[in-house]
Amino acid sequence: MAPAFVDYEFAGRKELCLCHSTGSTRRVLLVPPLFDEMNRMRKMLVDVMHALGSFETSSFLPDLPGTNESLVALEQVSLSDWRDALRACAEQHEISHIASFRAGILAVAEMEAAHHWIFSPVKGATILRTMMRTRVAADRESGLNTSLAELTEQAGAGSLELAGNILGSELFAQLNAAEIPDMTSQRIVRLESDSKPADSHIAGSALWLRAEPDEDPAMSFAIAQDIAEWMEP
Amino acid sequence: MHNKVELTPEAAVRAVMRDILGLSQEQVAEFTAETELFGALPELDSMAVAGLLTELEDRLDIMIEDDEVDGELFETFGNLVAFAEMKVRE
Repeated sequence: MAPAFVDYEFAGRKELCLCHSTGSTRRVLLVPPLFDEMNRMRKMLVDVMHALGSFETSSFLPDLPGTNESLVALEQVSLSDWRDALRACAEQHEISHIASFRAGILAVAEMEAAHHWIFSPVKGATILRTMMRTRVAADRESGLNTSLAELTEQAGAGSLELAGNILGSELFAQLNAAEIPDMTSQRIVRLESDSKPADSHIAGSALWLRAEPDEDPAMSFAIAQDIAEWMEP
Repeated sequence: MHNKVELTPEAAVRAVMRDILGLSQEQVAEFTAETELFGALPELDSMAVAGLLTELEDRLDIMIEDDEVDGELFETFGNLVAFAEMKVRE
């Protein structure tokens, strides 16, 4: 079976959610990376969903409000909204486990009672730093000399355009302060090339760094296999 | 939890270049100090450079300031490795 779009309700609106259902009660919510990293890893995540299907595991990949097909403007959305939206999605689709990728963990950090599988987690300030650097480089090409400190200051006063995304003050401030949470039930998985502590390492490459969106079928399969084994009752 | 051995700055730069450009282990092993980067590799645009800097900060536990980044830094692989080694010693 191929993945299909379903929806979930949040703040009186419907948001889309890609769903690959096997009819199993093992239902995992996949929380995507944020901003550009999400685009670069979308294909990989869909491959993970197909592979999870072969392990009799249903998976759900929601659009965060303000991203992908969402009708809300990103500028109006905060990290709290993302947290509330994912909680709503998890309840509506009877999710049993959560797998988050990169900064995705920040959007489910308050779901402490859930079982978390966490891939290469990163804090919010790191994601913002990369986006601000892209803005600094673009400004430099138009003869402007901007600094990371100036951009951070501007974000405090109003919305800020970073690498094609318009971020409201609240989202910027909340992300900038968002550290990687320590969950009660967690499994941290990293790439073999990453020397930071982890419960398991997977062979593959950092697709979120790739200049163009790419795929790594072997890594997607290894991720799905690790998630499926972790979900075994 | 288990820790893996720490990466040398050169290994970290090589690994990040491999991830950005989507190269094989063998291809990236051929990079020498003289290998030209910015200008010679079209994939290395400003967004890729932004990701590279942040990823190096993360992997080597260093902080790179705005004024330390200039065109010369990305001229060759050797320049970038020398910069990373200097930051790690700081």
